[in-house]
Amino acid sequence: MQIYLPIAEMSVDALLLVGIGFGVGWLSGLFGVGGGFLLTPLLMLIGIPSFVAVASGANQTLGASVSGLIAQARRGNVDWRMGGVLVAGGLLGSFAGVQLFAFLREKGQVDAAVALFYVVVLGIVGLLMVMESVRAIFRRVRARPQRLHQHSWAHGLPLKMRFRQSRLYISVLPPLAVGFAIGVLSAVMGVGGGFMLVPAMIYILGMPTSVVIGTSLFHVVCITASVTFFQAVQVGGVDIVLTMLLLAGGVAGAQFGASMGARLRGEETRALLGLLVLGVALMLMWNLVTPPERLFSVTRAP
Amino acid sequence: MRALLLILLLLAPGLAAAQPLVARLSTDRVDVTTAFVGESVLVFGSTEQPIGPGGDEVIVVARGPSTHFVVRRRVNVLGMWLNGPSAHFDEVPSFYAIAGTLPAWRLLPEEVRQARGLGLDALPLTPSSGARSPQFRAALLELKRNEGLWLEDVAPVDIAGNRLFQLRLPLPATVRPGVYEIAVHLVRSRQVVATERMGFVVARTGTAAEIERLARLQPAVYALICIILAALAGWLGSILFRRS
Repeated sequence: MQIYLPIAEMSVDALLLVGIGFGVGWLSGLFGVGGGFLLTPLLMLIGIPSFVAVASGANQTLGASVSGLIAQARRGNVDWRMGGVLVAGGLLGSFAGVQLFAFLREKGQVDAAVALFYVVVLGIVGLLMVMESVRAIFRRVRARPQRLHQHSWAHGLPLKMRFRQSRLYISVLPPLAVGFAIGVLSAVMGVGGGFMLVPAMIYILGMPTSVVIGTSLFHVVCITASVTFFQAVQVGGVDIVLTMLLLAGGVAGAQFGASMGARLRGEETRALLGLLVLGVALMLMWNLVTPPERLFSVTRAP
Repeated sequence: MRALLLILLLLAPGLAAAQPLVARLSTDRVDVTTAFVGESVLVFGSTEQPIGPGGDEVIVVARGPSTHFVVRRRVNVLGMWLNGPSAHFDEVPSFYAIAGTLPAWRLLPEEVRQARGLGLDALPLTPSSGARSPQFRAALLELKRNEGLWLEDVAPVDIAGNRLFQLRLPLPATVRPGVYEIAVHLVRSRQVVATERMGFVVARTGTAAEIERLARLQPAVYALICIILAALAGWLGSILFRRS
């Protein structure tokens, strides 16, 4: 069933989009991530213009993360204060990211730049995930040293604030910087950034794992909303028809994935997720380095 | 609609007695809805004198709204293929189709054909800025042809009974909304003796149009609606599909 996407200005098979949404939702439910990092490249692969794929990918991730946030908030697993500081940095970051995106689009470099961001960021994150989980699988008996990052350089900075729920008394600068960085990446890559934020919260900020998921979901929801806003206003790439079709499949898939993910062990899940992230990075790198079929491309100037 | 067409076609010779050329379109409006997958418009008409070798010949030209295109060439930078030099083309028809009972270059002297812009090679495609290499022009022609947006003598104009002619203009799903101008030229002994001009409008309608208009005119409102809708859909979906 073909459907015309009003912003992408093209006709696509609606069932294909629902299917992609379901597949990505299933995987994201399985691994407990938003899935934007899979969705945006897939959309570009089926021919959606990259500026629409990024903006609509962020919008879809917003929808996919809302129910998780509600569930976590009910259980009291959200550190609202820490979340607020992260989001403050994230709002600035997403605004800056959209400016960068608009600049790259004007220069005609969006496709390559988005691919490059994916290759670098997913490459690093994927590699770290795989290494960390492989180490964890081999040394399952040994407990992780708890206090290793408790007093790092981050604790000597000024503007300290008390975060009761995270049991932290640290400077607001590291969370602001983390939020900002994730905001930029979110705006350029069309992702929520949960898979980068969670390790950053644990290793850089030293937050207890109990509040990490809930607080990161709070950040993801706020930042994807702000990316959606700035992208729609400045670049005009949010296609609501595309978003809704993806969400229709995505929310169903996520529930199936989540019930299956509950049966997997933590380390194995993280190793698989790491491999998936690496796979996406490698696929995009392959596209970037292989000689293109056509050397020329035509775009309509805005 | 076919019955109506037939009646029009049968009536046409009667009208043609007064004029050397009569032509009409099957529609004056193409609606782009959310179910739009492309459409075709029929150009038909009749001539006063018999069509064919030695007699009248017909050339049909269609032009869509003009836009500004950027053609970019990819270059290898540090092993990666990035967009390199670009050429800008102003005022280029987003849709162009030409067909005749014979190709235009066989019917008209070269200078007349060039002056009237009959044929893809007669389009004034010179980059307004950027790279000057003729490769960019060639790439633009090739890409637009592949998209089915620029058509040159894809199929000849159909002739029935030496008097009636018809041509189907296929509009792909990627056509730009706007005014489309159709000109039918009657060629007699290597000269254009009569021209009939018509047009139709390609317009977004229904939901697709409303979404596009809101996104363009009130992007902030549209953005807020997108945020709320996505959040609601995610929340509702998780209730509907909950498996516990």
